[in-house]
Amino acid sequence: MLPTKQPYSWNLIGIVTCLVILILSSAFAVKTFTPEPMVLEIPSNFPKPTYDFANNPLTKEGFELGRKLFYDGSLSKTGDISCGSCHQQYAAFIQADHDKSHGVDDQLGRRNALPIFNALFKKSFFWDGGVPKLDFVPVNPLENVVEMDMKLDSAILKLNASEKYRSLFKNAFGVDKITSVEVLHAFAQFMGAMISANSKYDKFVRKEGETLTANELEGLKLFQTKCSSCHATDLFTDGSYRNNGISLDFNSDKGRAEVTDNPADIGKFKVPSLRNVAFTGPYMHDGSFETLEQVLEHYNSGIKQSVTLDLQLMNKDGKPGIPLTKEEQAKIISFLHTLSDFELLHDNGFSEPNH
Amino acid sequence: MKNALIIIALLFSVSVYANEKDSTIINKTGFSLDFKNVFGTAPFEFKKEYTTAFGEKLNFVTLNYFISNIKLTKKDGSEYIVPQDSSYFLIKHLDSTSHGIHLNGIPAGKYKSVTFTIGVDSVRNTMDVSKRTGALDVGARARGMYWVWNSGYIFFKLEGKTINEVDSLSKNFQYHIGGYGGYETKTINNIKVKTIELGKIRVSSKKHPTIHIQVDIAKFFDNVNPLKVAEHRSVMGGPFSGKISENYFNIFNLENVTY
Repeated sequence: MLPTKQPYSWNLIGIVTCLVILILSSAFAVKTFTPEPMVLEIPSNFPKPTYDFANNPLTKEGFELGRKLFYDGSLSKTGDISCGSCHQQYAAFIQADHDKSHGVDDQLGRRNALPIFNALFKKSFFWDGGVPKLDFVPVNPLENVVEMDMKLDSAILKLNASEKYRSLFKNAFGVDKITSVEVLHAFAQFMGAMISANSKYDKFVRKEGETLTANELEGLKLFQTKCSSCHATDLFTDGSYRNNGISLDFNSDKGRAEVTDNPADIGKFKVPSLRNVAFTGPYMHDGSFETLEQVLEHYNSGIKQSVTLDLQLMNKDGKPGIPLTKEEQAKIISFLHTLSDFELLHDNGFSEPNH
Repeated sequence: MKNALIIIALLFSVSVYANEKDSTIINKTGFSLDFKNVFGTAPFEFKKEYTTAFGEKLNFVTLNYFISNIKLTKKDGSEYIVPQDSSYFLIKHLDSTSHGIHLNGIPAGKYKSVTFTIGVDSVRNTMDVSKRTGALDVGARARGMYWVWNSGYIFFKLEGKTINEVDSLSKNFQYHIGGYGGYETKTINNIKVKTIELGKIRVSSKKHPTIHIQVDIAKFFDNVNPLKVAEHRSVMGGPFSGKISENYFNIFNLENVTY
C-alpha cells in the first residue's frame, strides 16, 4: 500500500537512499572482479599463434591460477601427481630421465611425455595429434587412468569445495561457481603464456647481439639441408605426422592411425619441436634413444623400413636414411644446443608456486 | 527509511512483473520434442532382459545420445532454425527430465517437418570451451560423452550385458559412437542429420505441439546392418562405427503429435 499521508520529502529521501544503495552495490560488484591484463609478446621469428586469447582474455590472475592448478597434485586420484610431475621445468617441461612417464600408483604411460612450451603455436597436441585445441589438452592427462586418473567433473567438484580456489576463480574470472570453462581457460592461460624463444639461436636470428660459433653455424647449415624439411620454421616442426623408422611393430602403438583410422597413418607420430632438445631426452615417442648422438646415428644408419616410412627418409638408391658423417652429426648437435632456452628453465614465473 | 524499503520493494516487483511479461510472450509460441525409448513394442528399461532379432539375450545399463541443431520446415519450404547456441541436448535414459526438449519463441505457423542432428556438428566439436556449456559441458553434464585423447563428443552410447543361456554368465558390451570428420585431416564422420515428416502441425499462441519420437533400440541391432553383439562386443570408433550410426539413424521415428 502506498503511504499517501507521508510528506513528499520523505519519498524523495527514500528514492535517493535507494539510488545510493544501488550505486554502492554495483561499485562493489565491479571492484571484486578487476583482473590485471597480461600482454604476451609474440617473438618476431615465430609464426602466428593458433590459440585465440580473444575468447579467454589473458590476465595475471588467470595465468597464476593456471599455474597453481598445473602444480596441484590434489587434482589426481592419489593426490600426488600434478601436471608438473611429468612436465618439469628443469627438464624443459618433460619428465627427466623417463622414456615413459609415471602416473598415479606409479603406472607407466605408453608414450614419452612431450614438452608443453610454445603450445600457443601448435596445430595439434600429443604424439598422435588427438587433441586439436589447447583448451582441451589438460583433460587428456587428467582423465587418463595411468596419468592423473581424475574425471574433470570430480576435479571441478573438488575445486568448488575449496574456499581458496573459489576466491581465486572469482578474482580471475568473476564467477561464484567454478565450471569447466574457467578451469580449462586457466590452464590455457598458463600453458599459452609459456613461450620459449630466448635461446642463443633466437637472439642470433633476431640480431639481438648473439653470435654462433663456426661449428654451430656449420651445424645450422647442415641442419637446413638435412633436417629442416620436417623440423621446419623457428618452431622446428612442421606439425605433421611421419614414420621415422623407429620400429617395425606397431601393434601396441599405431600412432596417428589411432586417431584417423587410416592404415596409411600407422606408425606415424608428430614431428616434435627441437627447441630445448638438449634437455628433453630420452627421445622419440617411445623414448628409445638416450642421447642426441644416438638420434643422429639413427637417421644415418638405423632407419627401419616399413610401408609407411616417410618418403623423405628414402634415398635415390632405394636405401633409407640421411647420410651423415660423425663430424656432421657432431656439428648438428652443437647447433641443436643453441636451441636451449635457459631463461625458460629459470623463469620463476613458471615454477611451482611458493617453491 | 520505511518508505525507501517500500520503494525498493515496488521497484523489485515492477521488474519481476516485466520479466514475467517477457517470458509469457516467448512462451506463447513453442513446441516440444519428446523422445520415448522403446525396444520393439516393449518399453525400454534398464536391467530388463530383451532378445535381439538374432536371438541374443541382453540387458542395458547406459543409453545416452545427443540431439542438436534443431530446425522446423514450413509447408512453403522456409525454415525456422533454433538459435545454435541453445540447440544442444543430451538425452540420458536414466534422467527422464532430459527426454523432453522444450523450445520457445518459435514463429507461429504451419510446419511440415522437424530436422535434427543425432550427435554434435563438427564446428562445435572444435570450439572454444566457453561455447561448450550446458549439455556440451565435458566437466559436468557431458561427462562420459567425450573422448579426451581423441577429442570429440560421443554421439550415441549404448552399454549393457549379454546373457549366455548355457552358463548364465553375463558379458559386457559397449557401443560408443562418435566421429565428427576430423580437424586437420579427414577422419570418420558419423554425424547423422535426421528429418522427420510431421504431416501438418500448427504452432500458435494457443497451440503448442509436442512431437513424440519413438527411439526403437531393437532396430539398433538389425536395421539396416546386422549387429551381433557376440561379434562386435565393443565398438568405439573404427570403421564398424559407421555401420552402427547407419542403424541408429533408423531408430528415430514419429509416434504422434499431441497438443
